[in-house]
Amino acid sequence: MIEFDRVSRRFGQQDALRNLNLQIDDGEMALLTGHSGAGKSTLLRLLLLLDRPTGGQILVDGQSTKQVQGNAVGHYRRRFGVVFQEHRLLFDRNVRDNIALPLEIAGFSLHDTNRRVRAALDKVGLLAKERADPNGLSGGEQQRVAIARAVVARPEFLIADEPTGNLDPALSVEIMTLFEAFNQVGVTVLVATHDLSLIARSRHRLMTLAAGQLMQAGVA
Amino acid sequence: MTQPQKRDQGHWGAWAAWRAQHRAAASTSWQKLVVQPVVTAVTWLVIAISLALPSTLLLTLDNLSAVAGGVDRSPQLSVLLTGDSELPVAEQLQRILKSWPEIDDVVLLDRELALSQFIQQTELATVVGSLARNPLPHTLVVMPGPALSAAAMTELGQRVQTLSGVDRVIVDTRWVARLETALQAGWRWVLALGAVMLMGAVLVLGNTLRLAIEARKDEILVVNLIGGSPAFARRPFLYLGLWYGVGGGLVAALLLMMMTWWMAGPVNTLFLLYESPQTMRAPGAFYPMSLTVLGGSLGLLSARLAAGRYVRQLVSLASSQNR
Repeated sequence: MIEFDRVSRRFGQQDALRNLNLQIDDGEMALLTGHSGAGKSTLLRLLLLLDRPTGGQILVDGQSTKQVQGNAVGHYRRRFGVVFQEHRLLFDRNVRDNIALPLEIAGFSLHDTNRRVRAALDKVGLLAKERADPNGLSGGEQQRVAIARAVVARPEFLIADEPTGNLDPALSVEIMTLFEAFNQVGVTVLVATHDLSLIARSRHRLMTLAAGQLMQAGVA
Repeated sequence: MTQPQKRDQGHWGAWAAWRAQHRAAASTSWQKLVVQPVVTAVTWLVIAISLALPSTLLLTLDNLSAVAGGVDRSPQLSVLLTGDSELPVAEQLQRILKSWPEIDDVVLLDRELALSQFIQQTELATVVGSLARNPLPHTLVVMPGPALSAAAMTELGQRVQTLSGVDRVIVDTRWVARLETALQAGWRWVLALGAVMLMGAVLVLGNTLRLAIEARKDEILVVNLIGGSPAFARRPFLYLGLWYGVGGGLVAALLLMMMTWWMAGPVNTLFLLYESPQTMRAPGAFYPMSLTVLGGSLGLLSARLAAGRYVRQLVSLASSQNR
């Protein structure tokens, strides 16, 4: 379970997040929305320990992230699969090697790595592109590779920051369907988006951020 | 369907995981070298020259030290008799000098014996055989008492010079002292040059690695985001430094062998001039092995310095960029 307990993040005189309280249960899928500058990315960055709160605390499975320091940060981040709007694929590696990166970090054997990469590619429908150069893939395919990379090590949490920002509506629905499929097998999913069409078709909890505060929470 | 799980690697233990990561990093780094043959060759050459030049000088000095070390450096006088002095005259002079209180011993070097030894050491039998007569004079080697000062040695030499039948008196230890002094200066010069060149190699290697890190900036940022430790991000660059260093060391060993072969002629002639029967020693196994180990260590050191600093900077930059 992820819990934000009166979390604040201040940059100079400006509050990016202000006394934010929210909770995401194990196995839940939630959407986080809000205008640009509402604090969505700051919230995700705090959750991934790319930044630290200036007030309050974040608890993951009851443990405060304040206690996660030094080498423990890497281990903590491996509990999360992360998907970004701009994919962040490595274009000097092929599709297989991009997806294998989290498994390399976790120290999986070559045999297990190959098996898991193929399984993840199968889930995102790109098994035939295993040895392909990411440069030759479409935007939707690149995003699906990024999703495969995020889930290949079987994380507890899947975090996506504007994952459909660069995709057309049909592909956006396809990507959301993938997230839902992972959620159905128990992965806790948090998607930050301001794509209204996605929000409209979602049956999951919607949290709206405005000026660093949670304004509304409910099923979309 | 994919199930979430804690870090479960089955029978795949931490040690095996660590080895797998190192194997992957080593292999990836080697592939980076292979796909950039020009950069790799230039870097290897720069390291090789930095290592080979001082090593060659070191090897030469090592050889010269062996020559100087093999010379008897107890103070003595070589008394060359005139060319027309016969053996009885030489024996009489030997008896006279032996009777002097400041002299311990006098050895007579028969000129016929000296000539045969010269032929044996220099293999110049053909040249000597063409001479009409033995050009060497009878020689007396005078060993004075141990307490004799340099001034007393000079004074003794002057007194011996006045004896009938004596052509020249040579104080034999001077050239050894000069050679030793030159060698001491040479050692220091080589050490200073070696230190400067090694420092240069570290800087060049550090810069090459910094460029390699810059080129793989995105990878470091992604690795950081998905939970890779700084050590994991640094590891490929440490191996890159190691491959550059070991490769440079091996090329340096090759250069050293080539330079030794090239220098052997003049150095052997120098040995001959100093009446040493030995020839220039080859580098053997010690020098190539030392150069490879030194190169590898330099590569690792440079990589550790460069990667440690730049990876940390990039990770900090990643945090600020993601804001």
